[in-house]
Amino acid sequence: MANGKVGAVLVVGGGVAGIQAALDLADSGFKVYMVDESPSIGGVMAQLDKTFPTNDCSMCILAPKLVAAGRHPNISLITNSEVLGLSGEAGNFEVKIRKRSRYINEEKCNGCGLCAQKCPVEAIDTYNKGLTDRSAVYVEFPQAVPLRYKIDREKCIGCKTCQEVCKANAVEYDQKDSEITLKVGAVILAPGFEPFDARLKSEYGYGRYANVVTSIEFERILSASGPYGGIVLRPSDGEIPRKIAFVQCVGSRDAQLGNLYCSAACCMYSIKEAIIAKEHVPTKLDCTIFYMDIRAYGKEFDAYYKRAQEEYGIRFVRSRVASITEDPATGNLFVHYVGEDETPRVEEFDMVVLSTGMQPPKNVEKLAKALGIKLNKYKFCETGAFTPLETSKPGVFVCGAFSSPKDIPESVAQASGAAAKAMAIIAPERGKLVAVKEYPPERDVSQEEPRIGVFICHCGINIGGIVRVPEVVEYAKTLPNVVYAEDNLYTCSDDTQKRIREKIKEYNLNRVVVASCTPRTHEPLFRETVREAGLNPYLFEMANIRDQCSWVHMHEPDAATEKAKDLVRSVVAKARLLKPLKNPTVNVTPAALVIGGGVAGMTAALELANQGFEVHLVEREKELGGHLRKIYYLLEGEDPQDHLQKLVKAVMENRLIHVYLGAEVVEVSGFVGNFKSKIRLNNGEEKQVEHGVVIVATGAVEYKPKEYLYGVDPRVLTQHELEEKIAKGRFNARKVVMIQCVGARNEERPNCARICCGQAIKNALKIKELDPDAEVYILYKDVRSYGFKEEYYREAANKGVIFINYSDDRKPKVSNEGGKLKVSFYEPVLKQEIQIQPDIVVLSAATIPNPDNKRIAEMLKVPLTKDGFFLEAHMKLRPVDFQTDGVFLCGMAHSPKYIDESIAQACAAAARAATILSKKVLEMEGIVAKVDEDLCSGCKICESLCPYGAIEMLEKEGKTVAHVIEALCKGCGVCGTACPTKAIVLGHFTTEEILAQVRAIMREMEVAAK
Amino acid sequence: MSETQKDFEPKIVGFLCNWCAYAGADLAGVSRIQYPPNIRVIRVMCSGRIDPAFILEALKNGADGVLVAGCHLPSDCHYLSGNFKALRRVMLLKKVLKDFGIEPERVRLEWVSASEGDKFAAVVRDMVEQIKKLGPNPLKMEAKK
Amino acid sequence: MAKQKLKFAFYWAASCGGCEIAVLDINEKILDVVQVADIVFWPVAMDIKYKDVENMPDKYIDVCFFNGGIRNSEQEHMAKLLRQKSKILVAYGACAHLGGVPGLANLHNKKEIFEKVYVQTFSTHNPNGVFPQPKVQVKEGVLEIPEFYDTVRTLDQTVEVDYYVPGCPPAVERTVFALEAIAKGELPPKGSVLAPLKSVCDECAKKKENKKISRIYRVYEKTPDPERCLLEQGIICMGPATRGGCGARCLKADMPCTGCGGPCPNAPEQGAAMISALASILGLEEEKEKYTEEEVEKLIDQIKDPVGTFYMYGLPASILRRKVMRS
Repeated sequence: MANGKVGAVLVVGGGVAGIQAALDLADSGFKVYMVDESPSIGGVMAQLDKTFPTNDCSMCILAPKLVAAGRHPNISLITNSEVLGLSGEAGNFEVKIRKRSRYINEEKCNGCGLCAQKCPVEAIDTYNKGLTDRSAVYVEFPQAVPLRYKIDREKCIGCKTCQEVCKANAVEYDQKDSEITLKVGAVILAPGFEPFDARLKSEYGYGRYANVVTSIEFERILSASGPYGGIVLRPSDGEIPRKIAFVQCVGSRDAQLGNLYCSAACCMYSIKEAIIAKEHVPTKLDCTIFYMDIRAYGKEFDAYYKRAQEEYGIRFVRSRVASITEDPATGNLFVHYVGEDETPRVEEFDMVVLSTGMQPPKNVEKLAKALGIKLNKYKFCETGAFTPLETSKPGVFVCGAFSSPKDIPESVAQASGAAAKAMAIIAPERGKLVAVKEYPPERDVSQEEPRIGVFICHCGINIGGIVRVPEVVEYAKTLPNVVYAEDNLYTCSDDTQKRIREKIKEYNLNRVVVASCTPRTHEPLFRETVREAGLNPYLFEMANIRDQCSWVHMHEPDAATEKAKDLVRSVVAKARLLKPLKNPTVNVTPAALVIGGGVAGMTAALELANQGFEVHLVEREKELGGHLRKIYYLLEGEDPQDHLQKLVKAVMENRLIHVYLGAEVVEVSGFVGNFKSKIRLNNGEEKQVEHGVVIVATGAVEYKPKEYLYGVDPRVLTQHELEEKIAKGRFNARKVVMIQCVGARNEERPNCARICCGQAIKNALKIKELDPDAEVYILYKDVRSYGFKEEYYREAANKGVIFINYSDDRKPKVSNEGGKLKVSFYEPVLKQEIQIQPDIVVLSAATIPNPDNKRIAEMLKVPLTKDGFFLEAHMKLRPVDFQTDGVFLCGMAHSPKYIDESIAQACAAAARAATILSKKVLEMEGIVAKVDEDLCSGCKICESLCPYGAIEMLEKEGKTVAHVIEALCKGCGVCGTACPTKAIVLGHFTTEEILAQVRAIMREMEVAAK
Repeated sequence: MSETQKDFEPKIVGFLCNWCAYAGADLAGVSRIQYPPNIRVIRVMCSGRIDPAFILEALKNGADGVLVAGCHLPSDCHYLSGNFKALRRVMLLKKVLKDFGIEPERVRLEWVSASEGDKFAAVVRDMVEQIKKLGPNPLKMEAKK
Repeated sequence: MAKQKLKFAFYWAASCGGCEIAVLDINEKILDVVQVADIVFWPVAMDIKYKDVENMPDKYIDVCFFNGGIRNSEQEHMAKLLRQKSKILVAYGACAHLGGVPGLANLHNKKEIFEKVYVQTFSTHNPNGVFPQPKVQVKEGVLEIPEFYDTVRTLDQTVEVDYYVPGCPPAVERTVFALEAIAKGELPPKGSVLAPLKSVCDECAKKKENKKISRIYRVYEKTPDPERCLLEQGIICMGPATRGGCGARCLKADMPCTGCGGPCPNAPEQGAAMISALASILGLEEEKEKYTEEEVEKLIDQIKDPVGTFYMYGLPASILRRKVMRS
């Protein structure tokens, strides 16, 4: 703490954003305290069934992150707690936290769940949104992290049953709340959002009609782990619905409620819920979505929307629902709305789902006060267009839905971005507060016969109550090479770890088997234990006799015991063959190559330089700035040119950033940590640079329209051209027609270009500002002014900008009649063709991929979407990563986006890059594929298969052989399984090991052959 | 036949991927969903690691059924597309098994997500029922001859 | 120094006879063989009776080259006898090694085969349904012919085998290699296959680019680019899963490898190895290989006669060995 700074960060909120920020910080050498009000982390995402637009199972993709956060040595989880106050300044804060009592000792509880099983109380299950019950002592959901129970004292009747059954003596009825004080260098706020309370929209009958549910409740209904096991049923009578209505904008875009903003994610999640519902309901199901505008503005969203219509036959009705009434006899619901023909209609449904919007989190004012940050008028966190991650207080950053409603990938990108901001403040303190563990030297067991120790867990009575554990112990002793076996009350407890280490010494064990619960949560713990005893961590194997025996065969103790023996035998057979594995390491060159010098590239470069890393910034044009050079004003009022100048100055003056203008990256070789690239400079010379990461920020370009007389008649402009005209004082038209979706949402480019609606509104407002009497018409398909941009849409409408909807089958026509521009279009309310003679026609031309993307993608071996934008590793949770390690993306290279979004992504890319650059040496997972070159015949099958590009073909002594780049291998084993000569072996899952397991399982009794 | 159809308890070997199917089996456990004790699980990291030879070896050693379970198509696979490899390998193997006179139904490929504990249990239940109808693995009967 | 000459034997069990010719294919090298060895038993070339073999002392023969699988009682008897009389027993050729093409009979049993051969074939007139019987009582006494088995076995499923020379028939260089190793007394450890460790691909000169295919062609359906790997052109070539040592001679004639060299040392189930490899790359051509299950079924259905393709030579040596018959 030489400069008084603290190398720790407080993250408030344990949803997906908070978790991402915490992991990025912890992975790059900072201590993280993560505070969450709930007893476990996960946030809203843990309640979702699937995620759009890939229909990934939400829990499947979230759970690994929960586990990673839960067991990360640099992350301390402080759950069931709240922040009381913050003092000090950026770099050195003191934060006060209240830990509310769980009435269960967190240190002692091992999450076995017996207490909840025996608890006689039925309480409301908030995870399932009150659709089912739980006990008074509970975890929120089975995958909860930390898996520590809590007593709901409001419901608890004090019978003390839990105290009696708890073998770990963890129940403490008299536990008190406590306060702690922590020192941190920065704070990241990720408290998320609160779903709108649908009761406030009383005309929709939520809370009165059983079959009107909110979208989060419906997520639970869809989920296999939900109240009805994934079968879609009506709450009133448990019948399968045949007709479901989805009502959009409940609590959003609503002047009456004062919620003028759009909640940004509801259109997409409703489409998703409708699709999944149709997949889950075996009989015919009609889904109707009542909407105002379908805001499918994100990457690949429109393609999803289109599938919903065409493949799934989901009906979309453009109308604001007026009210809902119930038929008390059937529980069916009448949806009252005004049809597209302006006539009132009533339609009957079995069930209605209200697409509730996002509200600021509960107790937000208290939190804002405790931290000293400003909120905006909707009580979301106040941020700026160029500072999307910064609160009003220096050193306190924000991410996720707390700064504005947003969906998961944007929250995740912001989270990484906020992490970068925090890292920059405390960069010199990196690595100072994180513990480095020392292990004893590893014992060489290669010459030893296998000597296996088997530890079998009772898990309180979770296993021992069903499986006859002592019998399994005796059985284990008869297995070949088993020299020691014992049973434990809790094999995972601290004292058992000590015992395992002692037994390894005492019996000179060189393999350890634990039969207990699932390796998915406990394998890392036991690997650690054997490592502490001087064994290679991979000389360990687990049998899952709880989740696969005692818990699922509760009424068959004999069968469960026999099965446990089989599983132990199988795992012992594998253990016999286990080999030590080395974690491959690669050295890291602490420098970055950033391709593209627009706002994203410059921001990413600066963020990395602020953390002390060298950056090579390559821009094809002769000056920095990219797209931002063409932007003269913003909806929100800030000055983009001013920001651009400051940014360019900061970049040019930073001695860690090497800027190459008029230059091009022509070759990239190597892999994470060790890239070598060639840059062709503006003088034609080539320069080679070495770097550890690559950030792709190549931006995008404006589509040059071929339609609507563009390029033929000079009075037809694009929005950018109009903006330039206005900014340079050359605008003088009095009648303007704007046409949206030019070059987007069509056959060639099915997706939305996201920013054109905002651009059109921005320019329309500017025109109205210059001349309030000017006539401005905007012909649109959907107005996609999501989030707080909705306000400006409203403002434009209030100021007399006329918005007219058009559909694909009736596109507007632009013609030149006798020298006059003429626009004709169909007016859906008046139901007639209208003709206007505007002074100019402005086309909202799509933002399309940089034509250079293809070359760069091939050079970096990273994929593109069908549209030609770069395709990230995972649409939901890895928005700025590529599947190839060490390569990241940000800005419009990813997809069209607003400046604040590009900046957030750029910061995110910097944070993700810092997780690599901050390490001298990268240590990889030991389970990787290896090629036996004596057997490899160079057929190249593996090379074609590896999704990570981890296999390269090398020439050795005139022969071609495959080689695994260990740094890129993820250990899936696809290559070795396909390898026709089995020259490729996947460590820890070798063919011999798996076949030994198969044979051992099928052998009725193995004769002791000691 | 030494084992009559009635008291025949099939033995099933299950190859489960770590990220989805094994997690689904864990959830069945955590949720205490009961299913018949006939399956023995072998964990692999990805369904793309499951070699047709493993399945043949299980059958040869007398398994009455083999379950291969991985992440849902098309995009749940933790390793992007290992599940597609598993799909094609198992489908081709089943075609071969038919020629070997072994009922392809003995080998079952399922997609089970981490949140589908009930589905995992249902698959096991259903598989046990189905294999009881098929009777014991004919290779086992042959070996006894 | 007058070294004592080695004693060689050759025998032909369930096989086509090609292996016998293969011995002669070594041309003038046969003279070298005769320099170092005497042939004491070779039914196809010399008139020596089984009785004479039975009368030899145990381990009298130094090396016995045994070709053909075991599918009747006579072959089993001779396998056991020659094992007893030989110091070294070599499974010579694909049939002794793996069962070979005759091993495909394991998709049927004796009953089916007899029905086919003695009743159903067009040229057969057998109204009384007469089938060969191992023992028949005639006036002169009991006539015996060997008993036909349900299942073809490899030589090593019958007796212990010391070395294997793969191929259908073994390539000249394999035979020469074996003979030279024997002559020089430089044999590898017992149980070895006398061939290189790598697959046919290692010896195949065709250019390999990438193994992404979606359409399968049978040999007659396509004239392949002779320069490029046939598998990459959609022609199923067993080369990747087949042990080399043949010089990729079929590939030199632009015909795909059918697998006679048997499995590679680490992948003893040759069929499964190829099933896994082929299924892995089939359909990779399309973007991200995201086919529906129905589409995958169509892809797979392009593979005709999978057992004949993947187990042309190795059915009896495979994990399952034969078809399960229900009768």
